[in-house]
Amino acid sequence: MPGYSTIAFNPDLCDGCGECMTVCALATTGSTAHARARLQIVPGDEEGRFELALCRQCGDPRCVANCPAAALTKNATTGVIDWDGDKCVDCLLCTVGCMYGGIALDPQAHRVAKCDMCGGDPACTRVCAPGALKHVTTARIYNEVGDLEDLFVPGLSGCQGCNTELLMRHTMRRIGPDSIVAAPPGCVPGMGAVGYNGLTGTKVPVFHPLLTNTASMLPGIKRFYKRRGRDVTAVALAGDGGASDVGFQSLSGAAERGEEILFIVIDNEGYMNTGMQRSSCTPYGAWTTTTPVGRESMGKTQDAKNLPLLMVAHRCAYVATASTAFMEDFYAKLDRALQASKRGFAYLHVYSPCTTGWRFPAEKNIEIARKAVETNFVMLWEYAPSTGLKLTRSVDEPAPLADYLQALGKYRHLAPEQVEHIERHIQDDVARIKQYSVAAAAASARVG
Amino acid sequence: MSAVIQPRKAQYVVCDGNEAAALAVALARVDMVAVYPITPQSSLVEYLAKFVADGKLAAELVDVEGEHSVLSVLQGAALAGARTYTATCGPGLAFMFEPYIRTPGLRLPLVMSIVTRDTLSPQSVWGGHQDAMSVREAGWIQMYCESVQEVLDTVVMAYRIAEDHNVMLPVNVCHDGNYLSYGSTRIELPAQDAVDTFLGTPDVNWHAALDPLRPMAIDPLTGGAGGVGPALFVGYRKGQCAGMHNALEAITATHQEWGRITGRQHAPLIEEYRMDGAEFAILTLGSMTGAGKDAIDEARTRGLAVGLVKVKTYRPFPVAALAAALNDVKAIGVVDRSVDFGWNCGPLYRDTLSALHHVAAPIRSQSFIGGLAGADITVEDFGRVIETTSALVRGAGGATIWINDKDRAPA
Repeated sequence: MPGYSTIAFNPDLCDGCGECMTVCALATTGSTAHARARLQIVPGDEEGRFELALCRQCGDPRCVANCPAAALTKNATTGVIDWDGDKCVDCLLCTVGCMYGGIALDPQAHRVAKCDMCGGDPACTRVCAPGALKHVTTARIYNEVGDLEDLFVPGLSGCQGCNTELLMRHTMRRIGPDSIVAAPPGCVPGMGAVGYNGLTGTKVPVFHPLLTNTASMLPGIKRFYKRRGRDVTAVALAGDGGASDVGFQSLSGAAERGEEILFIVIDNEGYMNTGMQRSSCTPYGAWTTTTPVGRESMGKTQDAKNLPLLMVAHRCAYVATASTAFMEDFYAKLDRALQASKRGFAYLHVYSPCTTGWRFPAEKNIEIARKAVETNFVMLWEYAPSTGLKLTRSVDEPAPLADYLQALGKYRHLAPEQVEHIERHIQDDVARIKQYSVAAAAASARVG
Repeated sequence: MSAVIQPRKAQYVVCDGNEAAALAVALARVDMVAVYPITPQSSLVEYLAKFVADGKLAAELVDVEGEHSVLSVLQGAALAGARTYTATCGPGLAFMFEPYIRTPGLRLPLVMSIVTRDTLSPQSVWGGHQDAMSVREAGWIQMYCESVQEVLDTVVMAYRIAEDHNVMLPVNVCHDGNYLSYGSTRIELPAQDAVDTFLGTPDVNWHAALDPLRPMAIDPLTGGAGGVGPALFVGYRKGQCAGMHNALEAITATHQEWGRITGRQHAPLIEEYRMDGAEFAILTLGSMTGAGKDAIDEARTRGLAVGLVKVKTYRPFPVAALAAALNDVKAIGVVDRSVDFGWNCGPLYRDTLSALHHVAAPIRSQSFIGGLAGADITVEDFGRVIETTSALVRGAGGATIWINDKDRAPA
């Protein structure tokens, strides 16, 4: 599969200012004439709305298929569809194939012209004040990690559409083979990562700690290798239950001692592997098999424990929250966490919607993960002792909470006052996180 | 006092049992020590911390947040290849139970002292064997020491026993809280190079390792009712039993070798004291044995044909050795420092009766329980034990006799 790089357009945000066309024309032709720009913002059917004509750098491009002269090629490295003027016979067949109006005749040059992504840093997205145009650079991740070996075998028996499996495959590809994986009881070993009856699903050393002692077995391993002068990454792929409940003592102890390990909590908000029981990370109101919906109570009656903030209170070398719907953010944090784990305790808290336990269709997993973040149900931030806490994604102007709650079966029963409770809780959390991040910014300004 | 280990010269030092254990750990050149303090073990881990701080013990010292993590850190370290040590007792041992019961199944040759203490409740901080006895079926090797010298020697020997490739099981070296932990005496400290030769280089994870150079999965789910699961699980369990069985021989051979090097020949499984021509016998465990031996000497001068058998290795239980030692006696009195609830007798008593099933003639028996929560079992107490057992030769035994149930401090 070739790399993927494109410019995404959100018509809801576009005000039709035309700045993008000005800078595009300037960057590609030296003139500021909108007609020569390689993207065109045109009035839509509705009054005040706009549409975009621009090459989407398709994965299976019709223009390339239509070209009789092989002048158009999909670049496997950049993901961009390159046009070669020396080969082009000016037949314009490519313009017929494209449904996005992405390749068109330049009236002045009398040849076709199309977006070349400005060599990887598109001018249009940089000037789009309302944020309607966004440079989607998933290709960067792909190009960086695409050749790395998947350290889990194919055919792990996770539920269909499992977010955790996606996350752990990405994580271990990046961390690489000089590592030891602790997989405490939960979905990770449940899908066969540690294995069954003498067979294993993991290509690096992997083990079942107890649910309680992941954060103390790993330091024993790590410290011994350090004594022997060997650089081995000790990584935990733990669930929220073991980490926040019965394993919290060892987690807290290891963080306090600054053990040089990378502890990743995959938070699916409960004991999903054992049949969807509540953990202290289960949010208020959520249905689980131990917080059922009945006449006397409906779902969990307490708020979730904020485990990542508790880890900040331990002054770990690095703490961050992440989501599989924001992979670039995740990879950047994983890299920083890996670095931090060379000098202290690094903690990553990744929200992982559970299609089976949360009651939503398997194909909606990433969509749910994205909605959680867009509604501020989950906030993306990171912390290091030197910089303090900072948000890595804005919490201003969140999407309506109902978008998220209504998508999940586990909230189907919520009464209006329960929804209000959740809203208040999110507002409190947002206010607290903002307070921390403002304080951190002020502190770093003083130091700077 | 804090002794200095000499590289090539044995020497005499005065220390208590806790320091003796710590000195043994230094002699064994342990790689990793994880500690959490608890009475009456605390001074032991303080000695270890001081040895590390002073550079006498080049180990990684991990001060963890509880006994559960103590053993977990050491399990991880052992899987990476480390020789390891810790010590605990009583409530600490109870808290450690989850990783504790897992250790033998992982076949990790950890060594851990139990500075024996009675269990809660009643709330108590004093010696007794109830803690160690409560975990006697978990699959660890258990050896009980009689003296401070035996503490030092046994902790060193424990590494050779645990790491024996035919054994590969964790070892508990039990020494009595208060009586041995704090009792000071002169002991001989072996030379470092003698111990180095005796123990060799640690080779603890040849069978199960967490090492990127030898990738493998540790402890995949095993068992169930289908496929290869049941046979695999049974195979692992039988392996544990084989290790326990082989330990009897390894313990014996190790004690003999240690005796050859140091001149101190501790009885490996059981010690028979004045059993020649004994008509009846007293059985003991741990530090009470000294008072027991004094009482036997006194009884012999009065013409009683009585001997004493001290059990050192309690797990694996030395069935054959015990059956042979007691083959010719007519009665036994077994003194325990703990209770076997449900049987309302001492655990050593019950185990001994099981072993005597292999003896041809029936032997009359009596269970005595004393020394709970720090109580003293005196020479006079043993005198009464001997008298009662003597009467058994011609009569039947009765219900368990509680040794200290009428003890009062002098007014």
